[in-house]
Amino acid sequence: MSNFRRLLGYLRPYRYRVFLAVFLMFMVTLTALPLPRIIQFVIDRVLPHHMWHTLNWIFWIIIGIYLFRGIVSFSLNYLIGWLGQRVVFDLRFHSYRHLNRLSLSYYDQRQTGKIMARAVDDINVIQYMITGGFVTLITDMLTLVLVIPVIFLMNVKLALIAMAVVPIYVFNYKLFLKKIRPLSVEIRKSWDALIGTLQEKISGITVVKAFVRENYETEQFIKTIRLNYDLQMTQATLNRILAATATIIRAVGTGLVYWIGAKLVGVHTLKVGELVAFTGYIGYLYDPALRLVDFNVQAQWAGASMDRVFEVLDTRPEITDAPNAKSMTNLKGSVTFRHVSFGYSRDNQALIDINLDVQPGEVIAIVGPSGAGKTTLVNLIARFYDATEGAILIDGVDIRQIRLESVRRQIGYVSQESLLFSVSLAENIRYGRNDATREQIIQAAKNADLHDFIMTLPDGYDTKIGEEGIKLSVGQKQRMAIARATLTNPRILILDDATSALDSKTEANVQAALEKLMKGRTNFVIAHRLATIMNADRIVVMDKGRIVDIGTHAELVAREGVYQNLYNEQFKSAQDEALAELLG
Amino acid sequence: MRNFLRLVRELKAYWKIMVLIAILTVITAGLGLPGPLIVAHLIDSLYKHNPINLFLVFLALVGIAAGTGLVGYCLTFAVTYLGQQFKMEMRRRLYSHMQTLSLGYFEKNQIGKMMSNITNDVATLDQLISGSFVRLMQDSATLIGVLVIVFIKDWKLALVALSVSPFYVANYLLHIGHIKKAADDVREERDIMLGDLQEKLAGAMVVKSYAKERTEVRQFVGQTRNLLDLNVDLSMLGTRLWTIAEFIGSGCGVALIIWYGGREVMMNRLSPGNLVAFISFITGYMYGPILRLIQLNDQFARTNAALNRIFGTLDTEPNIQNKPAAKVMPDIKGHVEYKHVWFEYEPGQPVLKDINLDIKPGMMVAFVGQSGSGKTTMINLLSRHYDVTDGAILVDGYDLRDVTIDSLRKQVGVVIQETILFNTSIRENIRYGKLDATNEEVEDAARAANIAHVIEALPKGYDTLIGEAGIKLSGGEKQRIAIARAILSDPRILVLDEATSSLDSETESLIQEALDHLMKGRTSFVVAHRLSTIVASDLIVVMEKGVIREAGSHLELLQQGGIYASLYNQQFKVALESREAEGVKL
Repeated sequence: MSNFRRLLGYLRPYRYRVFLAVFLMFMVTLTALPLPRIIQFVIDRVLPHHMWHTLNWIFWIIIGIYLFRGIVSFSLNYLIGWLGQRVVFDLRFHSYRHLNRLSLSYYDQRQTGKIMARAVDDINVIQYMITGGFVTLITDMLTLVLVIPVIFLMNVKLALIAMAVVPIYVFNYKLFLKKIRPLSVEIRKSWDALIGTLQEKISGITVVKAFVRENYETEQFIKTIRLNYDLQMTQATLNRILAATATIIRAVGTGLVYWIGAKLVGVHTLKVGELVAFTGYIGYLYDPALRLVDFNVQAQWAGASMDRVFEVLDTRPEITDAPNAKSMTNLKGSVTFRHVSFGYSRDNQALIDINLDVQPGEVIAIVGPSGAGKTTLVNLIARFYDATEGAILIDGVDIRQIRLESVRRQIGYVSQESLLFSVSLAENIRYGRNDATREQIIQAAKNADLHDFIMTLPDGYDTKIGEEGIKLSVGQKQRMAIARATLTNPRILILDDATSALDSKTEANVQAALEKLMKGRTNFVIAHRLATIMNADRIVVMDKGRIVDIGTHAELVAREGVYQNLYNEQFKSAQDEALAELLG
Repeated sequence: MRNFLRLVRELKAYWKIMVLIAILTVITAGLGLPGPLIVAHLIDSLYKHNPINLFLVFLALVGIAAGTGLVGYCLTFAVTYLGQQFKMEMRRRLYSHMQTLSLGYFEKNQIGKMMSNITNDVATLDQLISGSFVRLMQDSATLIGVLVIVFIKDWKLALVALSVSPFYVANYLLHIGHIKKAADDVREERDIMLGDLQEKLAGAMVVKSYAKERTEVRQFVGQTRNLLDLNVDLSMLGTRLWTIAEFIGSGCGVALIIWYGGREVMMNRLSPGNLVAFISFITGYMYGPILRLIQLNDQFARTNAALNRIFGTLDTEPNIQNKPAAKVMPDIKGHVEYKHVWFEYEPGQPVLKDINLDIKPGMMVAFVGQSGSGKTTMINLLSRHYDVTDGAILVDGYDLRDVTIDSLRKQVGVVIQETILFNTSIRENIRYGKLDATNEEVEDAARAANIAHVIEALPKGYDTLIGEAGIKLSGGEKQRIAIARAILSDPRILVLDEATSSLDSETESLIQEALDHLMKGRTSFVVAHRLSTIVASDLIVVMEKGVIREAGSHLELLQQGGIYASLYNQQFKVALESREAEGVKL
């Protein structure tokens, strides 16, 4: 219920339009009232007294009423359509802006498809609710408010009879609600499960095929759709029982009115036309009750959708600018970790008491077994997460005191996964810097050893990638990501295993270019291949969330420890033969 | 049209329920007709002060309602049953058909589109079958019934009432073209917005690292604003159509009936009761069905697109199919021969050229070469994700194309670079390699893949959920679970495509141990960039542009001093130099 109130909050900026809409609804409802009265007049007065002239007038009056109704209802519907779309727009805008504010941890835990569903489908459901359900509900209530006095004024006895069946209806409806509510939730859940399975198994098709599990997966899928089917059937049955009961209750009411009304006509306390008009009005009384069924189903779905949309909006971004955060435009690039600890979850410490002081212009390599916390460490520099304890300082200032945007703009980050967008190669490279010239783009591509490849493409730099364009290999994507990062001319460059998918020859080329680029910047390099990091100023060795050693390659390799082991492991099998071959 | 004929054929299996639905529909439509007639009779009796049994009228009205309710219940049940059954069957068929399609199909099509094929397109079809078809029957029956009754009662008044329907239809036809165009515009703009949204959300990492949030929001606002305007246009057109329709149908129609009908009554050619009945027949039962009948056209067009996509999927033939006479491949030893193998993904662009290799059971083969040299293709052909263009691949003397795909793939275990795990427990993920594996077997496999200690340290151990609802694993941990999964499936031929590239050297060496153990007695194919992982291979195959350039053991290739030797030296030069510099004793 609080959700609905909150949704109404979205209408607040447009409250005058909403008032106007309600007023127009009132007018539309009002125009529906005269017709039964006119029919009554025709039957009771015009026809028995052969008032030919009046009949002609009545023709024009009806046309007039409907013309007026048409104009009002057109304005109303236009207004409602606008309001609905506007609220959708606002909700989408808020959700998207909010999604952009949310920290990476939000995305880590969720599938893109589900986030999308919230931003798109759920908001659409809410829109149907506003333009459909809400409007009908209000119109119906207005109708009731107008019709009940009218029928009581016409004939109290008949009105009481007509109203007598309403409590039965309400009771029946309440019983139904109790059953249908949990069912709607179940249906929604089973549908989500169906979509989830589909998404997962279609994107994981290589695994399904590799283990020859096609039949197994089909069986699993049938189970999911079967469940959905059973629930849908139960829902249909329940809905239909309610509708059937409502039809009968309504018929009992109408039948009673005809019965008693006809008796009243017999004793001349009621005229025939009045009876006809009266039965016309009770249609207005019962129809809204029947419509409640539809509205309920709609409201259930919309309620679930609102829960999800508001859940997104209520998720607090973990990383936000402090109120007094300042902009730092020209970073020198010193980075200091002071007693930094961090955990993705409470009982899972990824970094423990990290202390590290990096001077501007240094090249820092980070090595260690997987799960040691290397990626986490660099993620903290880009402030994708905030340290649980301790502080990270850039140029001596706690990064929580610097405006997020101003830090990230000066950090070039190449992550393990190379994500590119479905635009042209040039636009992808330019993503970090919109005002880059063609020459700068080409230079960046050359640095990443991509230029020659791009020139072999018919459309060159304007080749589109992604769905409608060409498919790049993992190595090519990685090089694109490197080109994109170098173009921004960042003060701090972070390379998280950025060259892992390149073959040795390409890697050597890219490495040479990167070494040039690293000059004058602060660099953090994570790599598994020791050959790529041996030239670093300092090598940070990590294990189980801690820094276990720091030093140059020569220092580290000389002393016993994790690094020496790593080094020996990697070269053990090859070095003897290689040395034998090369040196002796 | 051909699509619809095919749909009718698909529906043949449900003909019994469809006949039942048709009968129930006609009964429902028929039950709507007596109500106004009874009321007409009542009014006329009252008017003329004729005696009438009021209880009977009451009973009749309630009885008809009860009948309508009951029949309506059966009808809805039957329709829902038909729709849901059909939906379920279609979805099952689409899904199981997709499962048979080759990898190439999944590479070409976007996941979202394939999903919407199964979810939305099928739902559209259901709307046609359980919505429009039923309405079509019901409306036709109602329309015919009403027309018959009104023409019998007063054919002149009937003609007067019908006289506005041409305007009614014309109004619809005048608007529908514009509405369709507006709807297309909305759809187009919407697709653009969705595409962008999808990509930018999936790429949140990139957006954030370039601090482009505000730009993205601004761009999104621009798109949604366009969409807002287009949607408002569309809804205005719709509103205009319906407002005019109401004016013509309810306004002019009723006014005409009252006017002309009133004259008829006054001339004693029509009873007042019948006039009232006329009003309710015409407003309630005539214009609605007429309009819905015209609208069907539109509905068909929309469904046709969905049908095209559904049948398109069902008609896609898997590239790789079992031959009619395909045999089940018995348990193999693992002798693999490539005989003059040629392969091309796109006609005229061979990726493999005349490959010849003979791999004895139990051998470990490593493929080395630049990206794009054909290494991965070599192993994709072995799992028969594609068929060779020319030549043949033989396993234990069986041509791969002569045996069933299942029996081949069950004996080939593949661990690929991109680790795909499912959103379920760790145990279930490992067990995916052998569905009937006991817990012990699962744990043994985990141990062999050097991941057991990590799993056991978790509070819930093997029952820990991974993925969305569960914990996050590092790349190396995921990879090791994938390896455990492959170990459990116990294949005769093992394929490792960059399986250890995201592992650091230490973990890799731990796992290498497990893999060495696993590879013993199996034929194994290894693709890796890191030479240190492959020097122990029995055979190293150096590929370049789809051709085998060198093949031999590590030492043989070094002695040849060819591509391999230079690759090798390049990778180790730095290390060796630094060793020298450090004065390490050799």
